[in-house]
Amino acid sequence: MFIKDLSCISAQETYHNSVFTDGVKDIEDLKIWAQEPDYKDIIPAGMLRRMSKLVRMSVATAGPFMEEHKNLGGVIFGSSNGSVDRSMRFLRQIIQYEEGTLTPTDFVQSTPNCVAGVLALMGNITGYNTTHVNQGLSFESSILDALLLFEEGKVSQLLLGGGDELSEANYNIESQRDLYKEESIATSTLLRSETKGTLPGEGVAMFVVEAEKTKESLAEIIDVDMIHHASKQEVAEKAVQFLNKNGLKPSDIDAVIMGRNGDVRTDNFYDHLQNELFPEQGIIVYKSLTGDYYSVSAVATWLATKVLSGTQLPSECIWKPLNNQPKTILLYNNCEGKQHGFVLMRGVYSSTSSE
Amino acid sequence: MGKRVFITGIGIISALGDSVQANRENLVRGKTGIKKAKVLQTRYTEIFPFGEVPYSTEELKNQAGIADVKGISRTEALALIAAKQSIADAGLTDGQVASFDMALLSASTVGGMSLTDQLHDDASMIGPPSDYLASYNVGEHASNLIKRFGIKGLSATFNTACSSSANAIMMGAKLIKSGRCTRAIVGGADALAKYTVNGFNSLQILSPEHCKPFDKNRSGLTLGEGAAYLILESEEVVGNKKIYGEVKGYGNANDAFHASSISDDAIGIIASISGALTSADLPPESIDYINAHGTGTMNNDITEQTGMNAIFKKIPQFQSTKTYTGHTLAAAGAIEAVFSLLTMQNNELYTSLNCNDPIEEFNVSPIKSYKKDQKINNVLSNSFGFGGNCSSLIFSKV
Amino acid sequence: MAHEELELKLKTQIIKYLNLMELEPADIKTDAPLFGPDSPIDLDSIDAIELSVLLEREYDLKITDPKQGKKVMASVEKMIEYIVANDKA
Repeated sequence: MFIKDLSCISAQETYHNSVFTDGVKDIEDLKIWAQEPDYKDIIPAGMLRRMSKLVRMSVATAGPFMEEHKNLGGVIFGSSNGSVDRSMRFLRQIIQYEEGTLTPTDFVQSTPNCVAGVLALMGNITGYNTTHVNQGLSFESSILDALLLFEEGKVSQLLLGGGDELSEANYNIESQRDLYKEESIATSTLLRSETKGTLPGEGVAMFVVEAEKTKESLAEIIDVDMIHHASKQEVAEKAVQFLNKNGLKPSDIDAVIMGRNGDVRTDNFYDHLQNELFPEQGIIVYKSLTGDYYSVSAVATWLATKVLSGTQLPSECIWKPLNNQPKTILLYNNCEGKQHGFVLMRGVYSSTSSE
Repeated sequence: MGKRVFITGIGIISALGDSVQANRENLVRGKTGIKKAKVLQTRYTEIFPFGEVPYSTEELKNQAGIADVKGISRTEALALIAAKQSIADAGLTDGQVASFDMALLSASTVGGMSLTDQLHDDASMIGPPSDYLASYNVGEHASNLIKRFGIKGLSATFNTACSSSANAIMMGAKLIKSGRCTRAIVGGADALAKYTVNGFNSLQILSPEHCKPFDKNRSGLTLGEGAAYLILESEEVVGNKKIYGEVKGYGNANDAFHASSISDDAIGIIASISGALTSADLPPESIDYINAHGTGTMNNDITEQTGMNAIFKKIPQFQSTKTYTGHTLAAAGAIEAVFSLLTMQNNELYTSLNCNDPIEEFNVSPIKSYKKDQKINNVLSNSFGFGGNCSSLIFSKV
Repeated sequence: MAHEELELKLKTQIIKYLNLMELEPADIKTDAPLFGPDSPIDLDSIDAIELSVLLEREYDLKITDPKQGKKVMASVEKMIEYIVANDKA
């Protein structure tokens, strides 16, 4: 499967790609909010009025694709929390009005599949449509779903995305679960903080993917795999098995994009994988730019596509220097040390230029 | 073509009972599980009937073998009970379950939001944190199934509203067909919750009487709860096991019309049914029975009939088992898959309850009484949801 | 309450309940239809429910019959007529 177009809203200025020219913002906050674009020119006001933050970020990223790419055959979206702020607003109505007459808009908007539904509606995309809520593997499951759909051969291109929104409500719940830093630290120091917890973030990354390579292809997603509730050793074994299944060995990988999030309790999975399998390779990181959230590997995929298509990464993304322009990249992310996702990607950059 | 996908195990808990056998007995007798809810805490138990599983969450945890585990949502307890049944029914060994070649695909819309009041307090930092912090997330039930069963393979959890578990079955079948796994446990679970009761009530689509799918004077849907899981196995590994049927075809489409209703011309419904027929490589007339989505709302039933009428020259025998279980949301696709398989296994069809005065437009009515000695080779099961999500599955006798 | 005052209040409430953030009260024509193809703001069935919640919460008026709702919420003018006719104050 090949990535043809991409768009991302995150805590950095990724929507207009100026993070690559103007540099990375250092953010000091307990919550890493997305830098949302001015929606006025992107989303009609009549539609914007009903949209949650997650929906409007998704529509802002996917909307322009609907103009530029005809024949979008489906929508696959990964979001573990959906429009969690709307869920909480509806919940508060239930309590405040003691289950009286309640306004339905928050309820309809709250469900995670609202995003894919709105995108289908806006683009009149009547084909395949699913929403994955597999926690820290929401986007990996979405990739898998897309690969299967293309293998059926009925669809040639579709929208694939992943995103979650941050709200007071999910911050309160997850912080009581001890997931986040108690101390306020700058994002630039997150990955070397050596304390427990991470910084919560939010954002959406959206892609147009196609079944066959075309002149417009930017990068290839070769395959995806995952394992749950595994030891460091089992994760490394899974990585090797995954690469072998695709005819590769660890030394064939040029760079690894790792989901290090500065949580001393779970970053050792990354250390282990790096030391055991990828001691020579360049290592790329990104959660020090965006914070962490369930579907954040969509951002990693966005970043991988940028690298593979020749964009120079900001120095903040380099954990260990790259040896050369990478051609084959492995993405590894773990969610709370319990869900581990792998995505294998390859550049089409050099091969297209030699054609 | 890919590998054939067989169903070798089924597990279910619904308002009709906590075993496959109990569910079937009530279907045969035409005895609904819908009544006044006793466990659900909401003021609406006085106004609306529900398809409630008549056990407290503590009793369900006990049955699931996790009586002492804290922080378990009702959704997760239901899921674990049904999933365990399905694994036992298929006779899977621990080694088979823990293989890289075993996948788990689940579905839920409510998840731990069944704990509506605790969620409100935890999210608002009212009082000390509860035991349920991790369980609110809609994917947590699946993550815990994976942990308890020691599953090492691929996974997915769907939330496409009321079509969620139909999509889990579909993707499980596709994973096996593609050779990415050889076995999969697929299904979904949803518990009744103050959250969804108030949500559907705010849309004014809950029925004060038992839901009456396909009746001219239908008055809305009846919410239910439950879980069902199916074991799918590739033809390569199935051996000479008992087989309930084959996942023959599947279609998924979006109606692209409205956030909470289906278009009058049934675009999504027609596309999902015809997609299922095409992938099954079956002509419409080969469908012997349709387990309809049939919620009992004004919008759903007429558009579903419009869709059926567009595809079938003569609409096959159809009915809605939601008249027995209520609408179990994300569990509905899997629960109705189990019922569809039971019709084929036992050569029988169940009564569609409460339809006294059928919709007139297409001059058809749902199955009026229990029927024995039916020849049922191919069953179509429909699931449609908010957000325009439409899914159809075809199960065939082997 | 003077008619103009009620009109402004109701339009402000409609904007709040329906989150019509691009509109000012003056942008909603009092006699223009709120629903259907001839409506400048083209509300839908969920908006209709939102408006009935508005009437219940702000004016203590409960609409139970959908057919009645359709008539009452045809325009701002009709809503005002209904509020005045059923004034509980």
